[in-house]
Amino acid sequence: MNPNLVTALTGYLPYLVPEMLLGAAACVLFLGGTWRANRHLWGGVALVSLAMAALALSFNPLPHYESASVADASRYASPVMLDRLALLLRGVSLAGGLLLVLLCWDSMPENRAAEYHACLLLMVAGMGLCAAANELVTLFLALELTSIPTYLILYLGKSSTPNDGLDAAGQEAAMKYFLLSIFSSALTLFGFSYLYGMAGTTNLPGLADAFRRASDLSAATEPTVPSPLMGMGMVALVMVVAGLGFRLTAVPFHFYAPDVYQGTTTANAAVLAFVPKVAGFAALVRVLGFVLPNLSHEVFTATLSRPILREQLPILLWIVAAVTMTLGNLLGLLQDNLRRLLAYSSVAHAGYMLIGLAAAPRLLDAFDAPVDGVDAVFFYLVTYGAMTLGAFGVLQYLSSSGQKAETVDDLAGLSKTRPGLALIMVLFLFSLIGIPFTAGFMGKFLLFAGALDVPPSQETTFWPPDQRTLFVGLALLAALNAAIGGWYYLRIAAVMYLRDPSPLAAAAEGKRSWPTLAAVGLCGALTLGIGINPDPLKRAVQSAVPRLTDMVSVSAVEH
Amino acid sequence: MSGLFLLLLALPLGTAVASALLGSGRAAAVRWLSLGSALASLLLATILSVQFAAARLDQTSTDAKSPSTFPDEWIRFSTRTNLLPLHTTANGTVDSAIQFYVGIDGLNVWLILLTALLMVSSVLVSWTAITERVNEFHAWLFVLQLGMTGVFASFDIILFYAFFELTLVPLFFLIGIWGGPQRQYAARKFFIYTLTGSLVTLLGIVSLALTLPQIESQRDPTRTPLLTFAIPELIAKVDALNDKLPKDIQELEQAPPDFEPHLLKERRERLDSWHRVQMWVFLAMMCGFAVKVPMVPVHTWLPLAHVEAPTAGSVLLAGVLLKLGTYGFLRLCVPLAPDASLRIGAPLLGGLAVVGILYGAFCALAQDDVKKLVAYSSVSHLGYCMLGLFALNEVGMTGSLMQMINHGLSTGALFLLVGMLYERYHTRKMADYGGMGSRLHLMAVFMVFITMSSVGLPGLNGFLGEWLVISGMYDFTGTQVRGTLLAGLSAVGVVLGAWYMLTMVRQIFFGPLKEPHREGHGVIGDLNGRELATLVPLAVLCLALGVYPKPFFKAVSPEIRVLAGIADAARRRAAAEQSPVPPRDIRQAATATEKK
Repeated sequence: MNPNLVTALTGYLPYLVPEMLLGAAACVLFLGGTWRANRHLWGGVALVSLAMAALALSFNPLPHYESASVADASRYASPVMLDRLALLLRGVSLAGGLLLVLLCWDSMPENRAAEYHACLLLMVAGMGLCAAANELVTLFLALELTSIPTYLILYLGKSSTPNDGLDAAGQEAAMKYFLLSIFSSALTLFGFSYLYGMAGTTNLPGLADAFRRASDLSAATEPTVPSPLMGMGMVALVMVVAGLGFRLTAVPFHFYAPDVYQGTTTANAAVLAFVPKVAGFAALVRVLGFVLPNLSHEVFTATLSRPILREQLPILLWIVAAVTMTLGNLLGLLQDNLRRLLAYSSVAHAGYMLIGLAAAPRLLDAFDAPVDGVDAVFFYLVTYGAMTLGAFGVLQYLSSSGQKAETVDDLAGLSKTRPGLALIMVLFLFSLIGIPFTAGFMGKFLLFAGALDVPPSQETTFWPPDQRTLFVGLALLAALNAAIGGWYYLRIAAVMYLRDPSPLAAAAEGKRSWPTLAAVGLCGALTLGIGINPDPLKRAVQSAVPRLTDMVSVSAVEH
Repeated sequence: MSGLFLLLLALPLGTAVASALLGSGRAAAVRWLSLGSALASLLLATILSVQFAAARLDQTSTDAKSPSTFPDEWIRFSTRTNLLPLHTTANGTVDSAIQFYVGIDGLNVWLILLTALLMVSSVLVSWTAITERVNEFHAWLFVLQLGMTGVFASFDIILFYAFFELTLVPLFFLIGIWGGPQRQYAARKFFIYTLTGSLVTLLGIVSLALTLPQIESQRDPTRTPLLTFAIPELIAKVDALNDKLPKDIQELEQAPPDFEPHLLKERRERLDSWHRVQMWVFLAMMCGFAVKVPMVPVHTWLPLAHVEAPTAGSVLLAGVLLKLGTYGFLRLCVPLAPDASLRIGAPLLGGLAVVGILYGAFCALAQDDVKKLVAYSSVSHLGYCMLGLFALNEVGMTGSLMQMINHGLSTGALFLLVGMLYERYHTRKMADYGGMGSRLHLMAVFMVFITMSSVGLPGLNGFLGEWLVISGMYDFTGTQVRGTLLAGLSAVGVVLGAWYMLTMVRQIFFGPLKEPHREGHGVIGDLNGRELATLVPLAVLCLALGVYPKPFFKAVSPEIRVLAGIADAARRRAAAEQSPVPPRDIRQAATATEKK
């Protein structure tokens, strides 16, 4: 066997220590839960294992290949690709995992704590592997690693005693999520099977090469006849986007979100709002070849310049983005239940993020663009995580300290009973609207800048219309959507600040959940910090997503 | 000195945090802290503006090297640091970034001073009016001051927008918590109206900044143009494109006949697309600023917000926040989209301004509620600002800027007086009052004085502003029926203004005494010392600006001249495009007449 190949096939294992640690810790938690029921003990173990995983990640962040041939071999042979994007997203999932463990600390019954935290750790490992996947099979397994623990926590979170089952809404939520998630996995797998069938490989860079060769060939032999691969490629593309769209809560695959969020606990809703989104966007970016590991300039442009990805994908994502944000915001207007409202809000934000992905292939033409779409998506993903987890955290804190926080009206007069909590909730809400000096504004700014920077098409035809017009229109739609969204976020702020507290809420003074409060505080600091100084995060995402312009300059230096 | 200016931004922020932390128990401490901070801000603003004006008065020649760009050295006390680097060169230096770029120039110096002045009044007028959640009230008030000062001071377009949006948050709470019975609805309506408009504005300014380098690189592919968000640099870029793109075409037209037709076509298309970009950018910016001003079809949030807001909120809303809209037009729209300002702005916004003047005046005439009357009078008065601004000449724009200050002083004072009256009798219905002049002597004196300033009595500030605006509408360089018509109609507005203001004064302060009945009130006294301290500075400034406006004009004239130069250049381009004779001759003729 080729020694380079052996190195490639074995060499990646030390770099996956963080995920292995998390898996091992999850096993310990599953077993230990039978021995003792104590949420502080198991929560502490989960925190320690997250910290150890973070330590392991920081020791071994990026692989060093001895030679270019080893690097090349691992590109085509290794099941995982440990580039900067993977590093960033693994870091983000560890940080998100920390927030989730703190946020969910008091949400589950004492005797379910160990299992619950174990599930969270497995999800964190799954998110990290999704971001690092270099194989369709790895990607699918990683996606399942985030989904299967989700089914568990939907059952675990709600019941208070071992014999006490879920209530009807909770059962409906768990069942609905389970069935639809399996359905979406099947769709994704169907799309993957087409990809494999066309290219004969499951390796992502290999797929890109195969497509490049195929379309070069058809362009050389029969330039006028559309290649039969086009049609199959479209099927694969649509299936993959549909399957992953479920995880992003992209319309029309969002139907489960409001019911599931409302039916389950606040802590579970927070998990559902964060984990599948990170996994879904990472998977989408990887499988569509936006960020191919260790790519050379030639492969990158070749992949994206193919008709499917270059022409069809932006249109498909444009439509999904437009419909997702509009429907999410409009339906959000009608909601009274807080979790349901935040579910539609998370649908709407998925729509905003899809703008970046839709614009990215077109931005390759724009030389020297300040953003390239994909980096704006990951910037927004981090800010979305901070503000959404924060908002859920406030609700979770309220419900664990004995105050009802089900409907918008339950928050009436919160500024009088708990001024600090109300203030930080307002921060999250204004960030979700996109008011300046909060993270949400910077995120929206970068997404808008990407959409507004799309250059005009070379030749103007009636159909498809000019790309620039299309994307300026999309940005305008997003701006109007942000204003519509402003109405329902503001409604919560208004209820907290402008109404008098109900006597019930004023009386409720339960125990304080310090870990949840810590999670809320961390989210608040992130939201404000990124809003005031977005530079570090911008640098991080920019270095994670290689840009065409940078690569050109790098290759110029190398030669 | 730039440190002093930064302190002017840091002080409100610090005060806001401090008064929030003081807690709801220590109302007196919060009030004194706020007063101290507001006075300190006023002192700082006065020092800075006096220095600025003194420097301008000393300057003998204030003409810019090029008649249509703002030189960087005009921005005094400036601070410029990178906030978010967007592009770095190969050797690691940042060459394009969103910047924290603030300073003082002729356009914003008086508005910054006005903000600081009205803050003192707002703190004083809330002394007894606000009794609940005093610390929160003052915290939001100072966040509002930070936002307002920040908008005026910003020279980076994104920073401008950030402060512009920031002002929504505190005002939402000020109206919503301490407002009248319909406060929740008013606060939300205000927020959503302005948010919707300004989000579109954001798209406009971002796409302008992104499009400029694209067009530049199309024109000259050899060099890579830089992305910038600094307003003076953007203005210079727009000016250069406006100058060069038509010249490129002329060059080919006058070239020997073997020129390449496709090149000419390409250059013509580039000019057309640049004009389209300008038009869309102008319309996008207009959305946000027109809502803020407010122009007539989108003004409905204003009377509601004004009526429901607490007195301090109304004073700042009318006195300063409405000017954010007109200031935005002046600072961004006119210099960044001059051709579109001339083509769309002048007819559309000029026309709407006159509609606003008349409509606002008629609405004010019909009101029974004093506060609503003053609110509609704001719609009418802001119409003058817009009319003068879109006269797009030196006289009109100077008048517009002066009218901004005038309106801030006189309408601010009117809202203060209405608030004081309401605090005494808890009613704002004019029919409840009569002959109050015999009970509240001092208040009557101030009310009459401020009314005179507001309706434009010669010798007071209002007269100068209105006169300049209306005379700006007469285009002396050419006979334009439109300008004359608008000027005539707006003069009708002046008469209507006098009518509703004087009716209000007569109804409340003159005639037989009719004191509103109020359960359990004590002795109603005339203005006390605190209230006098609130009003006297405003009244004195009304008089001072009317009698000796020279420092005002001298300080603003260089910038206004540049803006007028930009607008004149746009006029010449428009004339050149319409005339059948070769364009270059017209340009030479125009410059020749200019030299005479």
